[in-house]
Amino acid sequence: MTHMFYIHQTSCISPQQTFYNTAIDDLETPVNNRLHAVEPAYNDMPKNSLRRMGKTARIGIGAAMPLIKQVEGFNGIIIGTGNGGMEDSVIFLKEIIEYNEGLLTPGHFVQSTANALASQLSLASLNRGYNITHVHRGLAFEMAAIDTAMLLRENARNCYLLGGVDEISSYNYKLECLDGWYKKEDISSGGFYSSNTTGTVAGEGAVMLLVNNDKYNAVAKVVNISTLHTIVAMKMQQHLQQFLEQHINTNIDLLLSGENGDSRLLAYYANAENLLKNDIAVARFKHMCGEYPTSSAFALWLACKLISGVPLPAHMLKKGDSKTTYSNILIYNCHKGVQHSFMLVSKTE
Amino acid sequence: MGPSARENHTALRKGICGISLPDYLHSRYAEIFPAGEIKITTETLKSRLNITDNSVTRTTVLAAHAFEEALDDAGLSREQLTSPNTALIGATTVGGMCLTDELYRDANDKGMNSPFLDSYDCSSVFLYLHKRYKMNGLANTVNTACSSSANAIMYGARLIRLGMVTKAIVGGADSLSKFTINGFNALHILSPEICRPFDSNRQGLNLGEGAAFLVLEKEEDARNKKVYAEVKGYCNTSDAFHSTSLSDDGEGPYAAMMGALVSGQLQASDINLINAHGTATENNDEVETRAMRRVFGEPPVFTSTKSNIGHTLGASGAIEAVYSVFNIINQEVYPSLHFTDIDKNIGLSPATTYGKLPIKHVMSNSFGFGGNCTSLIFSES
Amino acid sequence: MEKTELKLLLKKQIIEFLNLTSLKPEDIKDDEPLFGDGLGLDSIDSLELIVLLQREYGIVIRDPKEGRKILVDVNTMVDYIEQNGTK
Repeated sequence: MTHMFYIHQTSCISPQQTFYNTAIDDLETPVNNRLHAVEPAYNDMPKNSLRRMGKTARIGIGAAMPLIKQVEGFNGIIIGTGNGGMEDSVIFLKEIIEYNEGLLTPGHFVQSTANALASQLSLASLNRGYNITHVHRGLAFEMAAIDTAMLLRENARNCYLLGGVDEISSYNYKLECLDGWYKKEDISSGGFYSSNTTGTVAGEGAVMLLVNNDKYNAVAKVVNISTLHTIVAMKMQQHLQQFLEQHINTNIDLLLSGENGDSRLLAYYANAENLLKNDIAVARFKHMCGEYPTSSAFALWLACKLISGVPLPAHMLKKGDSKTTYSNILIYNCHKGVQHSFMLVSKTE
Repeated sequence: MGPSARENHTALRKGICGISLPDYLHSRYAEIFPAGEIKITTETLKSRLNITDNSVTRTTVLAAHAFEEALDDAGLSREQLTSPNTALIGATTVGGMCLTDELYRDANDKGMNSPFLDSYDCSSVFLYLHKRYKMNGLANTVNTACSSSANAIMYGARLIRLGMVTKAIVGGADSLSKFTINGFNALHILSPEICRPFDSNRQGLNLGEGAAFLVLEKEEDARNKKVYAEVKGYCNTSDAFHSTSLSDDGEGPYAAMMGALVSGQLQASDINLINAHGTATENNDEVETRAMRRVFGEPPVFTSTKSNIGHTLGASGAIEAVYSVFNIINQEVYPSLHFTDIDKNIGLSPATTYGKLPIKHVMSNSFGFGGNCTSLIFSES
Repeated sequence: MEKTELKLLLKKQIIEFLNLTSLKPEDIKDDEPLFGDGLGLDSIDSLELIVLLQREYGIVIRDPKEGRKILVDVNTMVDYIEQNGTK
């Protein structure tokens, strides 16, 4: 397999200035240990649709609208989301408790379904093709990407909308806090990676991509994606080793690392860095988007930008020299020390 | 209808209905709306599998039971199960939200040291299975509401077809919950009596719970093994009409059924039996049959097994796939229950009696919220 | 409460309940159809309005189809509230 798909259009709503233009040199920093998305004005949304949208749907459709308007159509919608619908679920739950299961409004229940975004996208674009929502937590986006690659092997001339979206739901934040996934100390003023404590900072974002098999004028090529479930650092290392061996002739020039400041996960990221040649630069992205299940979609968006010549911001560079442009970027992300993903993204020939 | 495939098969043959007022569901609606409840407590289900992990939810333990049975039936060796080329593709809509009250407490900071903090989402079910059975291959969780496990089956089949994995264990699970019964009640689509799919006096659906798994592999690899059926065709489409009801002309269901035929290189006339989505809501049954007429002209024999077990939401695609396999290996049709009067807007009736039938191809439909429509075709192998 | 006051209150409640953030009460005409071409509400909105009528005015509508006959426009809603409201 020479490739999984070519990316032609991208759109991103994130905690950084990424929607109207790509202004990633100036860094937006966490507030109360959260990196909330910078949301656009939503002037393009289908009439009266915003009212029916939870945040996941809102930022997802907000990110997709420019792509929907730019093309004549696409053949299907494939979405990955880890937490999509959680906020509305708990709002509906509150109603159940508060009204003691009395007559309830169905709106939040309908919005709480994980596939609400994908279904709203199909309404917004009048798309009746393949429509799916993958919800496998830290690998939800990867599963969506693999699904898309399969669709393109089955339908070589088609074009698909692929997305990865998650929101910081206030309720989810509490659950993750209680479970020890966020920093106890305030990270707003710096020390995202250097605090050497457990936990990280919550984030959110929506990335939408138009992809197909056509290399002509493509922004970037996703060559391969591999996933793994393990808590054992050695197994992760072996898996990455095998992945690299499959691409032994590819000169990887950047590791885009999902290191997120959680000291418990450093061993995995160290393994990744150590497996690559010493002269390969390492950059990090979680301080820009925060931690959330589909943050690897944000990394892929970043990879596309770097490959097309957007300079690597100094605040991202962990190790090595920055280049004016990159040809082969390896993205490695580890979610909660269990789910690992490896994506190889390259410049098109 | 039973804690095993065999018991389900026996019950289907006898036309047994597993729907009644729930005994274990903690909801005021348990006194009003019948449901397909599995009459075994979560604690008993856990103890039967020696599960002591107190973060395991009802949805997960139902999944584990079905998973064990599938492994046993397929005779998978430990090596095969733990191979990096064996995938697990699961689906659920409720996940750990069956713990409605616990989620409310934890999400509102009222609970410290809750064992469930990591168990509320959909993926927790299949992450648990993947870990418990020490699997090493690809794992995924799909949630497209009522068509979820049908889509999981499709994903697994395609992974195999494209050579990305050699085996896929595919399926789904869902449990009754205060959350869903209140949600469906708010939509006014629950029936206060036992559901009557396609009947002129149908009043809506009954919720159900359950789990099912199927072990899929390539034809070449299955040569010397017991094979039940083939996943012959599949298609998923979006109705793109409304978040909770299907378009009048049933474009989504129509396109899904046509697409499944095309993918299986079959004609409409090849289908001998349809396991319909048949939820017994006014909208679904009317639109589904309209779409069936568009595809088939005169549709083949069709039934709704939701009349036996209710609507098991994310698990329904997988459960109904297993039932379709029963149809094929036994060459028989099971009665669609509680049907007495033809709806003049439908003009069709499902099969209401048990009978032998030559069956080569069964179509199984699952249509979910958000207009997500999936049609699968299972064939004699 | 006077009819005009009730109409204004109801419009505010409709906007808030249905999250119609782009509208103000004066944007909704008394005889503008709530469904179809006017305000463009859908079946989920009609269920939500039934809940609104119960929570704010104590009116119980068991059958959503019957509810649609009342939920034609603000005028019909207000008339029904005046005749049947208990709060």
